[in-house]
Amino acid sequence: MITFSDINKSYQLGSQQVIALNAVQGKMQKGSMVALCGPSGSGKSTLLNILGLLDMNYQGQISIDGNAYPKGDLQAAKLRRHQFGFIFQHFNLIPVMTALENVAYPLQLLGHNRSQQHQLAKQILEKVGLGEFIHHRPDNLSGGQQQRVAIARALVHKPVLVIADEPTASLDSKTATLVIDLIKQLGKEIGTTFIIATHDYRMAKHCDETINLIDGVISKEQNQWAS
Amino acid sequence: MGKLIHNISEPMRIAWLNLLRNNRRTLLSMLIISIAVFALTTAGGFGLYTYDSLKESTARDTGHLTLSQLGYFEKEEETTLSNGLINSASIIPTILKNEQVRGVQPRIYFTGLISNGSKSTIFMGTGVNEKEFDMKGPFLDIKQGKSLSNINMSRYDSSEPEIMLGVDLAVNLNVEIGDWVTLLATTSEGALNAYDFKVQGTYSTGVPELDKRQLYIHIKSAQDLLVSDKVSTLSVFLFETELTSELQQTISVQLSEMALTEQIQITPWQDRAFFYYKVKNLYDIIFGVMGAVMALVVFVSLFNTMTMSVTERTREIGTLSALGSYPNEIILMFIREATLLAFIGSLIGAIASAITTLSLMLIDVQMPPPPGRTDGYPLNIYFSIELFSYAALGIVFICTLAAYLSARKGVNKPITEALIHV
Repeated sequence: MITFSDINKSYQLGSQQVIALNAVQGKMQKGSMVALCGPSGSGKSTLLNILGLLDMNYQGQISIDGNAYPKGDLQAAKLRRHQFGFIFQHFNLIPVMTALENVAYPLQLLGHNRSQQHQLAKQILEKVGLGEFIHHRPDNLSGGQQQRVAIARALVHKPVLVIADEPTASLDSKTATLVIDLIKQLGKEIGTTFIIATHDYRMAKHCDETINLIDGVISKEQNQWAS
Repeated sequence: MGKLIHNISEPMRIAWLNLLRNNRRTLLSMLIISIAVFALTTAGGFGLYTYDSLKESTARDTGHLTLSQLGYFEKEEETTLSNGLINSASIIPTILKNEQVRGVQPRIYFTGLISNGSKSTIFMGTGVNEKEFDMKGPFLDIKQGKSLSNINMSRYDSSEPEIMLGVDLAVNLNVEIGDWVTLLATTSEGALNAYDFKVQGTYSTGVPELDKRQLYIHIKSAQDLLVSDKVSTLSVFLFETELTSELQQTISVQLSEMALTEQIQITPWQDRAFFYYKVKNLYDIIFGVMGAVMALVVFVSLFNTMTMSVTERTREIGTLSALGSYPNEIILMFIREATLLAFIGSLIGAIASAITTLSLMLIDVQMPPPPGRTDGYPLNIYFSIELFSYAALGIVFICTLAAYLSARKGVNKPITEALIHV
């Protein structure tokens, strides 16, 4: 379970101090999918970065499975490496690596040997329907295929938490639906918790709960699009 | 082993692919590195050739080892040959027993007046035996006639003692091969003595000042002229210059066992190689400055290349950091690229340098005479693996430093900023 309380974050913009998050709190059950919704500038990316340990300059408490988030950069990197996965809006695949190598990268960081890396990467690439594209480089893959590679990369090491920032924003509606289904299916299989910042109501609709942020404050904690 | 090769080759493959992302920039950086390595190894190779030639020239001139009375080079002679060696006849066979020794040449250095009958001038004479010219090899350029004959040969006419004159001295005295000149010198007893000599040949040392004054006569003739059995020095010539210090020790031990009546000083060629060290010091400074300039050029170029590469890949750095890569792992990735660039560039530079060396063996390129000399010399450049290794290591270090400084800036950027970098 991930819990966060009294999260405050402010920026200095010239002489003005901008409050990005104000006493934000909440909790996410293990294996749940949580949508982080809100208009632009509402603070959802800020919260996502804080929960993903990409931004450590905040006030408040966050814990994962009862353990407080680390404060040091290296400990944060270690936690990200072992327990986190990331899906980005623009896929952020490494252009010189093949799909297989991109997916195998988190395993390489964890010290798996080459055959293990390739075996696990192949398995998950097959699950996301890219078994025939494992040796393709990102520039030879469509946007949807690239995002599927990114999903595979985020999940290959079975992380506790996956941070997804607008994962369907760069995709057409048909591909977006496929990606949403894939995230949900794989998330359930692995038991990973997903926090997804999204504008896409279809995405939010599939989530177990929704955190709505407006001007850095949680306005309502419910899945407003859930059927 | 296979795993080790993979652990090395796989990151290098990724580094190579990253370099190929911007072909033109990579090619330009590689070219700059190649030129730097080429310039350093070629200029250094020229320096090595020059050092070697000067070393050989000095050793062939003075001998690899010079045996003399203790303090011979520091104190002036009160009378002719007063500081000379008495026991040369017993010392020579002892030294010749060492198989590394090519020859031992007795020498007498003296001065006086030389005359053609109507004109006189001062000279610097050296009494040598005929083998002296074999030892000097290509470092004595005989312009006309022949070198001194062996006085033990039946054809040698003792009534016609031979002399070799420096080419400008012969011109000054207006004498040619077969002409007679008179040498006037002070004997060891302080009296004046004169002998007539027949001109056997003329030679050039390459130094005009020496060519105006120098002459060679046979050592026996010199002893007759100076009325002494002594010699000034004994020059020991070795088959290999590198054996100098080893032989110095051996001969020192052998001489100490001989119970000689005089103290002998053994001077290695390095201690008499004043010109060699002057040139070497000058070249070392020139090549040092050149190396520093090259290093700066490579550093600036590589720093620029790597900074551009890091800036272009800021989002990628952010992604790798988000995935849990440690900063040092990301920096290492850029260092690998710079090292690969340095390695390939250095290899190209070395190949170009080796081709230049080979070409100069086939094509005769003459260098103009150095200051104070009359003759030019063929341009040769050594290709030294050792020199190349130093140059390549230096370049790799510079490239690594440039990559480290550039990449460190990239990884220090906050991940959230790096991820939205455009």
